[in-house]
Amino acid sequence: MTYVSLNFIFFLAVFFLLFFMVPGTRLKQAVILAGNVFFYYFAGGYEGLFVILFISLTAYTASRMMGRIYESFDGEAEGLDYKAKTALFASYKKRTRVILIPGIILIIGFLVFGKAFRLTGIEAPAMLSPFLMPLGLSYFALSSTGYMLDVFWKKTKPEKNPVYLLLCVSYFPAIVEGPINKYSKLITEFKGLKGFSYEPFCRGLQRVLWGFFKKLVIADRLNLYTKAVYGDPASFAGFEIIIAVVLGAVQLYTDFSGCIDIGIGISEAIGVKMPENFNQPFFAKSAAEFWRRWHISLGDWFKEYISMPLAVNQKIIGFSMKVRKLLGGGRRSTQFAGSFIPLMSVWILTGLWHGTGADYLVWGLYWGALFLLESVFAPDFSALYKKAGIDENSFGFKFYLMARTFVFFCIGRMFTVAGSLAGFWILFKRMFLLNPWVLFDGSLYTHGLDRKNFYTAVFAVILLFITDLKKEEKKDIRGLLAAQPRVFRWLCLYMLIFTVAVFGIYGPGFQASDFVYRGF
Amino acid sequence: MRDKIKELLTSNYPDIDFESSAELVDSGVLSSFIVVNIISLFTVEFGVAIPYEEIIPENFNSLDAMAALVEKLM
Repeated sequence: MTYVSLNFIFFLAVFFLLFFMVPGTRLKQAVILAGNVFFYYFAGGYEGLFVILFISLTAYTASRMMGRIYESFDGEAEGLDYKAKTALFASYKKRTRVILIPGIILIIGFLVFGKAFRLTGIEAPAMLSPFLMPLGLSYFALSSTGYMLDVFWKKTKPEKNPVYLLLCVSYFPAIVEGPINKYSKLITEFKGLKGFSYEPFCRGLQRVLWGFFKKLVIADRLNLYTKAVYGDPASFAGFEIIIAVVLGAVQLYTDFSGCIDIGIGISEAIGVKMPENFNQPFFAKSAAEFWRRWHISLGDWFKEYISMPLAVNQKIIGFSMKVRKLLGGGRRSTQFAGSFIPLMSVWILTGLWHGTGADYLVWGLYWGALFLLESVFAPDFSALYKKAGIDENSFGFKFYLMARTFVFFCIGRMFTVAGSLAGFWILFKRMFLLNPWVLFDGSLYTHGLDRKNFYTAVFAVILLFITDLKKEEKKDIRGLLAAQPRVFRWLCLYMLIFTVAVFGIYGPGFQASDFVYRGF
Repeated sequence: MRDKIKELLTSNYPDIDFESSAELVDSGVLSSFIVVNIISLFTVEFGVAIPYEEIIPENFNSLDAMAALVEKLM
């Protein structure tokens, strides 16, 4: 079962009915858990359920054990000054680290083990195969690890009820493609479940509908063209490739954010808030800003659990300062030396999280290099613009920066879309074999996306752009809609439902055309 | 301490006005990369080891907050 299926719609209807019918928070939590298990069984198989159970139990056990060690900390720390308290906590962490590290090895090891088979191309034993890389592993492995680290750093108390942890780890609106939830926030939502409320329910369903619009009307439509080019790059050139890259960027955004809209919308409908994962990323004016707007929960996870801990590590700081001295000790050396290890570590890991081939490693290094260059040379660029008399606050300049960031994104995407670095190289070098005649001779419409579908996609993307622009201006579109006369509201909704029903791509790839980020 | 910190940060980041706001991190003046480097600078200059639990926006939002953090750790 995937989100884009009639089975899922039916499941959702039954889920909502049961959820709102049962009284009390406990029973509602039970319905969510039953929904999680049911959805996952049909979407990921019982083997995947076993993996979720195993990972939840690992996180639960490790956290309870760490919690027991910390029980005496507060008593011992009472009356101590700040330095003594810090030293005491450091000594406690030495003991809890002994539990944390095996916990992390077990959970992340699962992820690494599964990816290692893909990387090496070795065929996994048949019995083992269904347990490797189950649906959503990359997401729930990170959220469970984050939970254990929060307990280790005493940011959150360990959960005493293992079912609560399982409830959060297996939460079906987030399990397919995220967002990566923080346990402490999600469990607060689950402990405050309320009965049916018209406004959040409507807003949630509208968001779900919008997600289906993005996925079925835009992403799957653009896929008709991009899959042809990426699947056989040697047969295409110049503008055919450039257009595929640009459409591919929009396709990825609508595919991924569409799934997130569906998940967040379902959650909103039952009164459970999840973090936003996208914030109009193509309005970003730099690589750093882009990644604060794209896959936000992943960026936050890596910042909180990888780059910041590395940044305060004394050994790494010592090494960075040696590098800084070697480079001359000025502002740029300081910025470079201090950022290099945390940034490149995060980006190598981010690349490997997305995929296991050399192409993903290069992708990660590419973004790491961009981040580093921006952080080191940002003041120099500012000075250059000032000297050239460019007003950095002007619309033209901001538009240039947004376009430049979009190009950065497209180049990054090219490393991985063709399936290998060899495929990337073919795409990249053939892109320069310019063939402007293809823009006029109609041949572009013969590769899977015909003229009619292309114009449908263009109209849909314009609608998406207007919506994203309004969101960028902090307008509450669903709130604005709710304030309109009932006839107008229902007209808009029915038109959107009609658009999804009629213009959604339900062709041969209907169930097989999975959400792109589902594969991680 | 506040003046020492101001001198240290201004010499490394001459384009940033550290007195401009009491919400340097929350308002985006100091990105996470800059905070990472400030941590390194404090460690080297003042010999303090900043625990991970202290990497919160409140501790880096202003010169006063950063001075209080370093003094607490010295």
